[in-house]
Amino acid sequence: MVLFDNVLHRVRFSKFMAIVSQEFDKPCVDLIETLLQHGRLSLEQIFDGFRDRKSSGGMEALRGNIHKLVMARYVERCPVAEPFLALPSEEEAAPAKRRGAKSAKIFFEPETLEQRVLAAAVPPEAIRFSVELNPEISADTERDENNSPSNVGEKRKHDALESGIDGGVADKQVVLWRVNFEEFIRRLRHKLRSLFLSHLSHNIPTGGGWWNEIETQDVHTVRRSVASCLHGDFPIVLSEGQICVENVRARLDDEAATVFSAMLDASRSEEKKLKIPSSVPLSVESIYQEVIKSEKDRTKTLEHIIPVLDQLSSSPPFIRVIGDSYIIDFKHIIELAQTDEVESIVLKKYGKDAYRIFRLLSKAGRLLETDKVLVTPQILVGVGWDNLRTTGCANIGICKAILLQLASGATRKPALWICTEVNVDSVFVEKKETANILSKMWQGDYLQMEKLVAGPTHFLLWKVNMINIREHVLDDMFHAALNLSLRVAYELEQQKEILNLGVHGPVKEKYEKLRKVRFLLESSRMKLDDAVMIFHDF
Amino acid sequence: MSRSQGPSSLKRKRPESNSLSQSLTDQERKLYDVIRSKQDMGIWTRDMKRETNLPDNVVNKSLKALQAKNLIKEVVNIQNKGRKHYMATEFQPAKELTGGSWYVEGSLDTEFIKILRKFCVDFIAELKVATLEKVTDLIRRNGVFAVDVTQQQVEEIVRTLVLDNEIMEVKSNGMGEFASVPIGKVCYKLIGKGGLGGELKAKTGAMASIPCGVCPRISHCTPDGVISPKTCVYYTKWLDF
Repeated sequence: MVLFDNVLHRVRFSKFMAIVSQEFDKPCVDLIETLLQHGRLSLEQIFDGFRDRKSSGGMEALRGNIHKLVMARYVERCPVAEPFLALPSEEEAAPAKRRGAKSAKIFFEPETLEQRVLAAAVPPEAIRFSVELNPEISADTERDENNSPSNVGEKRKHDALESGIDGGVADKQVVLWRVNFEEFIRRLRHKLRSLFLSHLSHNIPTGGGWWNEIETQDVHTVRRSVASCLHGDFPIVLSEGQICVENVRARLDDEAATVFSAMLDASRSEEKKLKIPSSVPLSVESIYQEVIKSEKDRTKTLEHIIPVLDQLSSSPPFIRVIGDSYIIDFKHIIELAQTDEVESIVLKKYGKDAYRIFRLLSKAGRLLETDKVLVTPQILVGVGWDNLRTTGCANIGICKAILLQLASGATRKPALWICTEVNVDSVFVEKKETANILSKMWQGDYLQMEKLVAGPTHFLLWKVNMINIREHVLDDMFHAALNLSLRVAYELEQQKEILNLGVHGPVKEKYEKLRKVRFLLESSRMKLDDAVMIFHDF
Repeated sequence: MSRSQGPSSLKRKRPESNSLSQSLTDQERKLYDVIRSKQDMGIWTRDMKRETNLPDNVVNKSLKALQAKNLIKEVVNIQNKGRKHYMATEFQPAKELTGGSWYVEGSLDTEFIKILRKFCVDFIAELKVATLEKVTDLIRRNGVFAVDVTQQQVEEIVRTLVLDNEIMEVKSNGMGEFASVPIGKVCYKLIGKGGLGGELKAKTGAMASIPCGVCPRISHCTPDGVISPKTCVYYTKWLDF
């Protein structure tokens, strides 16, 4: 069974290592790197791999590091190779129903076989992150004590046999460990929430003495990427808490960013699943306790926190208040990030006027949970079903046309439409230009269009359907990611002679240019991957 | 800038009816009555032909004569610029024809809009949290515009600033920076803080910052096709720095 997500994660290895580097020291980062390279290893194989390394700090330190990584949930036990899968119940076997236009966003797909297998294979939490239960720890301790050169060959032979065991189930004593991608994605989600995209700098650093030679093997690329992260050259991954609250800081202030960050930290330990719409309810006291953990915020009191929480719950609402508790609205934050990305594309592709029109339609669509349409050329947004507002002859005509159309069943009947007149005064774009822009955006699949006919008159209705847009934008993102990878490979292939000559060769300028080109392409790919996560993983 | 915008003035002094009936033919009279009856909305030539049942050549000739006698004038209908629209000279075109206060001579007054936008942004930045009333008041007191800027005009400008992501619309909670604003009142804040260079606005997203993100041919692009990342001219241009 191919796990598509795990294939995607390969691009993110440098990000995962950067996350670990912010919490732990280099030996832990090396451990994670080893696991990422090999996929899954037994503890014995890990010990063997690090036995001769001076940087590992000895076996005792190695055991401690493994323990730390498992406790932090960055490393987990591999799931069983052949999980038991119960037959689906009647409810689960029934086909999923689309609930209709009103809840079009809530489409409950039946769990796929892949999802069920993965869920069944995951060991219970207590076992999944428990190193103590692993008898290999004590076995390895004895081996360390008795280890001698003469035994090394036999031990390696034994390991070679073990490594061929898939999942380690043949020998119950051997447990395989792997990187827990779920935890890393959770950390990235926390970091990349709150509209981080608007804060990613496109000032790609061109300096950096860390790039000494260009190689094509992944492990070296990973090492350099981590080095660049540690040196602060890489613009994507910032230190803990920086990205995750940057937009809060931009929209509100530093105080709000601090409190929001504390809420994320407080809720993290309670998150059982990855894609959850909101955090667990947090009391003011628990948020306060988290805030004062930081040195600089130690002197703050509850009186500092409460107004900030009110500020965070006002427009745009990053948090919601339920009784005495506060909940981070993850779903809303992720939707904002997705909308920002889409609007950015519209702005770049179609221009400022189109951006304005798109946001007008998008906001109108978000006001109520019903179908909304924009009518042109008279340009109405929606038509009041119960409250037909007559603001002019043209509007009456459109209203009548829509009513006739709906009555005939030719168009879906919404539960309630709302009339909001939008004319050229609302967007300050000439009428003819507006029609051109709408047509272009429709051809690019950013708008939906419906035609209404009332006698000799034709009306065009326009609408933003964010669900459809997200799907095709995500498709384009995957396509673009592939294109970036192919172009990098192409550039290196074309310039391999320059590579061979090296940085001190006669073509130093061309070498530098190639270095910058590669950096631009690869950093763009990493930045794009952040956007992919927002649309696909979070 | 000189812009006079006031309520539509309706009539000038009417010419004497006796002299009018003497100088107009029956067809011209009929046509003039129809046009005048539409007051400040005027009438399209095709509609006047239908209402008067006069032949085309008679209508065209009569229109010229009425224009020469300064009894009617041609006006631009912003909804249909290609149509010839006439009204009696004593009337000023209605808002439906002119497009309203944002139009001058049938086109958007972009200069006026641009300056008004700048003032709105500057005042909102100065106030930190601004209501519509406060911004309108400041603009009026500033005295830079020859015309009276209405609150409705300011509201329309402010709405486009929200759409352009230059300011954000918030509701007052009566606390902190909103202390001077009644709870629930809509107000506006500039987007972006000094710490981040003062501008957030619409930052370029990940897709928009690469050629593929805005490529019109992405659906035709394949790894080894005629359009491919290896041969893409947009990539070549992007990497040519």
